[in-house]
Amino acid sequence: MAGIALTVFWRTGGEKVISFRNVDVKFNLGTPLETHALRDVSLDVKEGQFLTVIGSNGAGKSTVLNALAGGAPIFGGSLSVDGKDVTHLPVHRRAKIVSRVFQDPRVGTCADLTRLENFAIARARTQPRRFRPAVSPDMKDELKDRLSLLGLGLENRINDLVGQLSGGQRQALSLIMASTGRSKVLLLDEHTAALDLETASYVMSLTSQLVAQTAMTTLMVTHSMQQALDYGDRIVMFHRGKIVLDVDGTERAALTVNDLLSLFKKASGEELCDDALLLG
Amino acid sequence: MSLFEVMGFFEIGLVFSILALGTFISFRILRFPDLSVEGTFPLGAAVGAVLIANGLNPWVSTVLAGCAGFAAGALTASLHVRFQIIPILSGILVAVALYSINLRIMGGPNKPLLGSETVFDAPARWLSQPSYITNVAVLIGVVLLIKVALDLMFKTGFGFALRATGSNAEMARAAGINVGLTTIAGLGLANALTAISGALFAQIFGGADVYAGTGVIITGLASVIVVMSIFPSRTMILATFACIFGSIAYRASVGIALNADVLGLRASDLQLVTALLVAVTLILQAGGWLELRLRFFGVQGVKK
Repeated sequence: MAGIALTVFWRTGGEKVISFRNVDVKFNLGTPLETHALRDVSLDVKEGQFLTVIGSNGAGKSTVLNALAGGAPIFGGSLSVDGKDVTHLPVHRRAKIVSRVFQDPRVGTCADLTRLENFAIARARTQPRRFRPAVSPDMKDELKDRLSLLGLGLENRINDLVGQLSGGQRQALSLIMASTGRSKVLLLDEHTAALDLETASYVMSLTSQLVAQTAMTTLMVTHSMQQALDYGDRIVMFHRGKIVLDVDGTERAALTVNDLLSLFKKASGEELCDDALLLG
Repeated sequence: MSLFEVMGFFEIGLVFSILALGTFISFRILRFPDLSVEGTFPLGAAVGAVLIANGLNPWVSTVLAGCAGFAAGALTASLHVRFQIIPILSGILVAVALYSINLRIMGGPNKPLLGSETVFDAPARWLSQPSYITNVAVLIGVVLLIKVALDLMFKTGFGFALRATGSNAEMARAAGINVGLTTIAGLGLANALTAISGALFAQIFGGADVYAGTGVIITGLASVIVVMSIFPSRTMILATFACIFGSIAYRASVGIALNADVLGLRASDLQLVTALLVAVTLILQAGGWLELRLRFFGVQGVKK
């Protein structure tokens, strides 16, 4: 245990893709509900790394993802992705470099569009088609190929509406959509939290398969410490808007859920009383 | 009913089918309850009539009327997108402002077009048929042209962006779609169609009137909502066809109802009947069908 480094700054590698520099995020500024969601956060993520982000409710783990995707206003510091400063870039202009799977399966896809149409919209993220036909023939083949990997039979009915799919199927489609194109970064925002246990483990195995295949730099927010240990190659723990734990490599490999809990206690000086963190 | 009357339904139904296509884009695709239509319909009539009365080519005048409608629709959307004014209020603000603007454009409450060359005059001379036939022929051509152009548009990346913006704005944003700009362009397009509908309306009925827009929003909704609930359209090609069909069917049923002496309806009851029709359709759509059945037929053991 003594060997585990509680570092706030990650050592800066040459090929870092994400770089938070003293980032401050505040919500509801100037109202009684004002919250300081991220406090002076600095974090570097190297290309191809699969980062799991944990922490109690309100710790700032989802805000890290929102700051990257453009949904959270950054008040101080700077954020760059793939060498480009994106600190004040609106959501739609980040879509080229950052793709995302939401917690709620209904948010990531359009229910009243077909599977093919949804896929075409996701593909246009990195290759916009504006006034050309949105669906090209090679897109159909690509979607069929990729859906057949799921083993759910979705590839036979690409012209059916997405609204007819179950939550797990929609989340699987969201993953396929998020990993198409040439985005550098994949954000997963508790994307299995709304699913039943069996479906959640199916979606997780699909996730690690796709991440390995596309070699995208991945940030996954999770409520489950076990999931954080089972997937990815680096763990970052947030508490009250700050990073309190950042481990990877052999240090991380030796960790157990109990180790994480006691590390959390040491770092924050508090007992972790969020039951949700212990489950799974 | 005479051929003349039947062609009359077609004529007015086709004119309003362009409005219905606009309503389809704002209400169904973008899910933006756009009331500025009440001002952009007479705006199109006013701009078209004034330009034609000043000797400009009627086709060019109609297109320019569409451009004026685009600007007004884009303004409505901007009030919502840029300044977060709720959609209904944005539309009302623009419609109210347009009332004064329309009076300015026409220099009075109406602008007669008697004796001016309209888009319907030249074809009537070439075909040497009565105007109630040639008018319908011209309108079929214009409506088909617009329908095909819209169908092609819905297949492009922009068309998908419009649909995604209305269906799921958060997903659209995450997919790199500029939701604000797409809403502005889409609402501009919807109101351009409305204004073209107004310009053609003025040319058929011999002039523009500042009150021509009263209730057109409900007319457009009646055509779109009623027909879409009877024939749910999976593809955009079918949906645009349904709008056109709905508009003509709506006019025909209104005409038949007004002509039937049994019902004792007057022409002035039109707006009331239309509002009731739309309200009932919306109630049925919202799942009220079973409730109504329960209430009136006492079906047992059926729960919503």
